[in-house]
Amino acid sequence: MGIKWHKFALKTVVLGLIAFLVFGPLSSVILWSIAIKWYWPHVWPQEIGLAYWKQALGLQRDWAIAAVSIWEAFRNSMIIAFIATCTTMGLAIPAAYALARFKLPIKPLFLLLFLMPKVFPQQPIFVNLLPSFTRWGLAGTLPGVIIIHILVCLLFGIWITTSAFKAIPESLEEAAWSVGATKWQTFWHILMPLAAPGLLVSTIFVFVTSLTEFTGTFFIGLPFITTLPMLLYSASGYNMQFASVLALVLLVPSLLFMVLTERIFRPEYLGAVGR
Amino acid sequence: MPGVKLSEVTKRYGKITAVDHLSLTVHDQEMVSLLGPSGCGKTTTLRCVAGFVIPDEGKIFIGDQEVTRVPPEKRDIGFVFQNFALWPHMTVHQNLAFGLRLRKVPKSQIKRRVQEALALVRMEGMEDRYPRQLSGGQQQRVALARALVLQPRVLLLDEPLSNLDAKLREEMRFEIRELQRKLKITAIYVTHDQAEALVLSDRIAILNHGKIEQIGTPEEIYQRPVSKFVASFVGICSFIQAQVIKLSSDGAVLSTEDGLVISTKRTDLTLGQSVTLAIRPEFAEVFFSRPANDVNVFPAQVARFAYLGDNVDCWLKVGQWDLRIRLPAFRAISAGQQVWVHLIPEKIIIISEEK
Repeated sequence: MGIKWHKFALKTVVLGLIAFLVFGPLSSVILWSIAIKWYWPHVWPQEIGLAYWKQALGLQRDWAIAAVSIWEAFRNSMIIAFIATCTTMGLAIPAAYALARFKLPIKPLFLLLFLMPKVFPQQPIFVNLLPSFTRWGLAGTLPGVIIIHILVCLLFGIWITTSAFKAIPESLEEAAWSVGATKWQTFWHILMPLAAPGLLVSTIFVFVTSLTEFTGTFFIGLPFITTLPMLLYSASGYNMQFASVLALVLLVPSLLFMVLTERIFRPEYLGAVGR
Repeated sequence: MPGVKLSEVTKRYGKITAVDHLSLTVHDQEMVSLLGPSGCGKTTTLRCVAGFVIPDEGKIFIGDQEVTRVPPEKRDIGFVFQNFALWPHMTVHQNLAFGLRLRKVPKSQIKRRVQEALALVRMEGMEDRYPRQLSGGQQQRVALARALVLQPRVLLLDEPLSNLDAKLREEMRFEIRELQRKLKITAIYVTHDQAEALVLSDRIAILNHGKIEQIGTPEEIYQRPVSKFVASFVGICSFIQAQVIKLSSDGAVLSTEDGLVISTKRTDLTLGQSVTLAIRPEFAEVFFSRPANDVNVFPAQVARFAYLGDNVDCWLKVGQWDLRIRLPAFRAISAGQQVWVHLIPEKIIIISEEK
């Protein structure tokens, strides 16, 4: 009895702590997004309302409320994230398969190449890229930002996808060949369904990375291309209400993405992620 | 159904030669085992036949067709893997139907053929199960059915029973053998388990260092091994080094360094030749008191023994030589006990390796 009680207490404390760490900041953000007036030393907002939400969603225009319509930034973010994710995964899947299956002499070099932007601070790289992008007419354009996002995402994409392919025993492919499946048929009918959980994780990761990418967009995209993180940056610090609204909006696509994929994929696929 | 022929097949991995100029003919409807220790090249050889590995040199034929560079999917083979290699996202039915679907077999026929194949391995009614819902033995039956459902020209088995427990393994040996006979299919079976090879095969090829040391029927391999390696790999065997000291029409007489004089029935030896005597447990008789006959009878000491239930596995010291024999379990023995051992002249194996 005594042991059970201790266990229960410990569980409660740990769960409470986790809940606090996750939902504490989140509830604060939610509270801030509806606070019209909230000055120190008040514990709760003095005045609450949806003014910042309405302004951000373009439902009202009031000069007294420091928020702008987020629709353009939202649209930009979604277009960029969508195209960057599709392209990245399109490149990452064949590259990862090659890395997972073939003994390539250049393999370490290849991985190093993709590690480079992560080893060095990103700022000097992007600053150096800016003149080239300007020369090619890519600076300040959607394609330019998409290219930067692909560069940033490719590392994660290839990395996670490679381990997804590595986790599949080669004998499963060989078995497919032995019953007459070509390399291509094996890829579609055996490899892709089995790698699905890993690909899913990889895709979500890439999508979220692109959605929240800041540095590259800042150097290459501004002032003509504004994404949600750009807006968030300019709002943060002095305008907690608008920043909170943006933070919550940024959460929405990721949550939708996860719910959607959970619906599409069978639970056993997702269950295999942890293997 | 055609046989398989390997001619001078060589495969190197860096500096290691996995398969070394190996030639082998498997006749139509024959089951040949490749038997050897790990790293002997038996699996690589099999994978060359399957097309998973392309040899550096040599040629491979299935029937009259050279397949050395033909991709695996065009070889018309069935392969059974050690780890079963069932596709986990497909049901048993889908696993078996996959190859048939690729061949555009009509749906009604697919259903019939899948059921026939499952009946062969006694797995009827399991069509809708997923591999993870089956036991190891059941998974391997399904894997076997998957290989057989396409009626391949050759069946290749890569240690298919080594992931199963001992009892099941023994059962499955006979089942695989009966299936192969019934379907009259040419088969190559890779194993490191000598008992499996003895039960299953028409012929056994003993591999060592990428080469075939000996190929023959199970009886030939067991009774007339050509080398110490073969003799010790298949069955239990003790060895005694000796020299030929006398020749007669009756057989050669040999002597060891420490003065044991052993008569044999071999007449094809030359005087002074060094040979190895290979003695299987059943080639020696043990007496607990000195027997009347004194030809090939030597005093011996029990060095150690292990009780095995139906008999006693016993190591004797004869002069400087170790001799492993079997004693009936009802005789009480003790370590250090004095016994007499009779080496039966007709049965002694003489290996005249040039090494």
